[in-house]
Amino acid sequence: MRRGLQRHGISGGQGRPEATRRRRPAALTGGLLALALAAAGCASAGSASPGKPTAGGTATYALPPNTTPNYIFPLSPGVYFSVVNSSNLQLLMYRPLYWFGTANGLPYLNEQLSLAYRPVYRKHTVTIRLKKYQWSNGEKVDAKDVVFWMNMLTAVTKISSSSVNWGGYVPHEFPSNVLSVKAIGAYKVQMKIKGSFSRQWFTDNELSQITPMPLAWDVTTTGKSDCAVRTTNCIAVFKYLDAQSKSTSTWVHSRLWSVVDGPWQLTGLNSQGLLTFSFNKEYSGPVPPAHIATFKELPFTSEEAEYNVLAAGGRNPLDVGYLPTVDAPVPPPGRAVGANPVHGYRLQPLYQWGLSYFPYNFASSDPQLPIISQVYFRHALQLLENQAAIIQGPLHGYGHVSTGPVGSFPRTRYLSPQAGKGDPYPYDPVAARQLLKTHGWTVNPTGVTICRHPGTGPTNCGKGVRAGAQMKFTLYYATGQTWLESALLQLKSNAAQIGIEIDLIPKTFNGVLGVVENGSGCPAGGCPWELADWGVGWSYVPDYLPTGDELFQTGSFGNTGLYSNRVNDNLIKQTLNSSNIKLMWNWQNYLTKQLPVVYQPDAPSALVESINSLHIGTQNPTLAINPEDWYFIR
Amino acid sequence: MTTFIVRRLLQAVAALALVSFLVFAFLWLLPGGPQQAMLSGAASANHLHQLRHDYGLGNPAVLAYLSWLGQVLHGNLGYSYVENASVGSMLAASLPRTLALMITATAIGLAVAIPAGLAQAIRRDAATDRVARALSYVGYGMPSFFLGSILILIFAVRLHWFGAEGPQSAGIAGVLTDWRDLTLPVLTLAVATVAIFARYVRSAAIDSLAHDYVRTARAVGSGRRQVLTKHVLRNSLIPVITLAGLSIPRILAGALVVESLFNIQGMGWRLWQAAQKHDFPVLLGFILVIGAGAVVGSLLADVGYMLADPRVRFRER
Repeated sequence: MRRGLQRHGISGGQGRPEATRRRRPAALTGGLLALALAAAGCASAGSASPGKPTAGGTATYALPPNTTPNYIFPLSPGVYFSVVNSSNLQLLMYRPLYWFGTANGLPYLNEQLSLAYRPVYRKHTVTIRLKKYQWSNGEKVDAKDVVFWMNMLTAVTKISSSSVNWGGYVPHEFPSNVLSVKAIGAYKVQMKIKGSFSRQWFTDNELSQITPMPLAWDVTTTGKSDCAVRTTNCIAVFKYLDAQSKSTSTWVHSRLWSVVDGPWQLTGLNSQGLLTFSFNKEYSGPVPPAHIATFKELPFTSEEAEYNVLAAGGRNPLDVGYLPTVDAPVPPPGRAVGANPVHGYRLQPLYQWGLSYFPYNFASSDPQLPIISQVYFRHALQLLENQAAIIQGPLHGYGHVSTGPVGSFPRTRYLSPQAGKGDPYPYDPVAARQLLKTHGWTVNPTGVTICRHPGTGPTNCGKGVRAGAQMKFTLYYATGQTWLESALLQLKSNAAQIGIEIDLIPKTFNGVLGVVENGSGCPAGGCPWELADWGVGWSYVPDYLPTGDELFQTGSFGNTGLYSNRVNDNLIKQTLNSSNIKLMWNWQNYLTKQLPVVYQPDAPSALVESINSLHIGTQNPTLAINPEDWYFIR
Repeated sequence: MTTFIVRRLLQAVAALALVSFLVFAFLWLLPGGPQQAMLSGAASANHLHQLRHDYGLGNPAVLAYLSWLGQVLHGNLGYSYVENASVGSMLAASLPRTLALMITATAIGLAVAIPAGLAQAIRRDAATDRVARALSYVGYGMPSFFLGSILILIFAVRLHWFGAEGPQSAGIAGVLTDWRDLTLPVLTLAVATVAIFARYVRSAAIDSLAHDYVRTARAVGSGRRQVLTKHVLRNSLIPVITLAGLSIPRILAGALVVESLFNIQGMGWRLWQAAQKHDFPVLLGFILVIGAGAVVGSLLADVGYMLADPRVRFRER
């Protein structure tokens, strides 16, 4: 459910902005994300390096540039809903009820690492049975802890029906679609759900948001509270925890945050943002017999600084880092990676489970709306987006073609067979020119293409497009990502070949979000944009099932371009009401043809470098990391 | 002399007040006004209430300014809602490493530049002077990111003599004692300092050597060393003192490129990050400190100028 725009940090090299895992459209700020390497499964996950696993030791890990965690409480408000806070801090210590990311690197439910067994549905009721986990203070992770989270979530989303208090909030969905929650045993929770729903959707996009909270957190400034029992005092508890969470200097010795059910405890945080985690000896989840004992996350001021440290090696080498894209070796044909420029390390690209695109502005205030509303125009522009060339050029061979409204990598069962065939709109400027000509436009390669035959017939420019209308558009884009700037310059050049003039306007990541969301800098009628690219698309975390309800449905909060299509809405609704995968395929096949956004290549979140002596297993496309599964090899 | 210093101090206080007023005035020019700007988008009812209380932002501008100034004078430079940290704590983390880095680089730069510039002046247009001038041009014109990258490649990646990142210890002492990690960033910064100051010293020394007092000193039998140190060097340092004093804000502002390249979370890097994230409390707090540094630097330059040049003392009387 998280709207993709998470701001997760992006991974190395791409220079993406720090990512905030927001459900806002765009959200992803930056992200770098962490290189999340994570081994989703236990020791068996991923390709083991030869050698004998050794218990103990300290693994050092490079945080994305300019990024350090700044919020520890897992029920994070929108402004703190980021990859670095989630993957690099909270998930290490506080485990979600359901873990996503399997041992083979797919974004599916991982039952082995989840705190509960797969939920059992009966009509409008879902029953969750917890496993026997325990908190580091000896208490059991039980039904009360789940109800505690639900009570707090219900309370904070009532006082603000937006992502202000919970970054993962989607209006009218969780927890608004839950009638009641109650513990029906020490380890059993039962929820009654409103209306009809797809069971998989409810598990993957709703229950996936829950993180059980210890009763030690059920406190306010005045002492013990009862949010785990009733919602009345939950706001006071939330405010207290929120304030404590922002006090970064008190994290290490806090009596709140030291109670963990995950495999790690925060034992150090210096003024530079270097975090030290020690293995939680009370951890009751699965771990390999030999694993590292200490995990350190190192901050970096730039990806160049990180790469220098990585390349220099020396006495204290970085164990896991990332390679800037500009230094990435182009892979030879048929290979996933090129010759690694860093000696003694293993290079693995990490792709986030998400969608890479940039939206059109379908707002009525946009003077170019009549043109943008024409499917043939959007088709023509998509034909000018040369995804293969962007991957081979600015992305140095690391990237995947986006084929429609469902992420194409990692390849999941959600991707329709049709979308799995590859780019449905390969670069074809001749076909693009023909499309415009047959719809009444005079194509002017040395100037601007103009509508000559207005009207609504099959050979006319289309409804609302006036005679003399010009193919001129503004495209705001986020600076700081070298590949993105090159890709958009390429699109501008390609479009100019057939007289489509695209005015590229650089902004900061937040600046682009401000434009698409009509922020404070915009005039009363809204910011004048036709296209906007914040560079990191959408992340399907923590809503892992790629239904279109958050991104493409009329009025949904991730639908920044205000796209609206009744057929699309109906098809989306069907995907929410049934787990039949063919319904999702139907929807995406339809929307792929409608092109509500421009699809662009999926760039790697990070080109992860891990030292050969450290086994890190399979990387998790949700960007979560599992250093408890890492071990040194002697 | 006392009158001179007191007068300069009073001027410095007035300048500081002006700096603080300008910084505060910037708040009203920011998008969304002072409250939204200082909250950097993290607004909540609690935040706004706290901000109004701390800074008196609901009051008329003059009262709000005085209230804000009172907070600043009590050490409260604001709070970053982006980083979840007080500006004071961020300053405390960044300033020592920037000071250690910049002062060391400047000191080393001056230690090399002054004798080098003097030697160039003495051997004006000789081969050594020409070579030194050429090197000076190269040092002055070479971008620090390029020089730093070359130094890292050779001395950290290839030879492993020094670290590829700056010192990560907290505090000035920790930074200064970590010579292995301090060497390359200091060297990168010192090269430009040497290039700039050597040119000033050379120019001033050439000018001094042509003055009558040097000829007179030689005529009365003063030795070469005495002429150079007592007459030529002393007069040549006057522009250097001015330049060094005016360098204090630069020292406080850090060196963004070098800090970024060498993974040093110093003042320059922090300022850049704050600008990127629209973190106005940090920007304003840091700018206030740097502005204060500029005033103090100017004051120190004046005092140094007076000590070096008796004519100034005489005129002040």
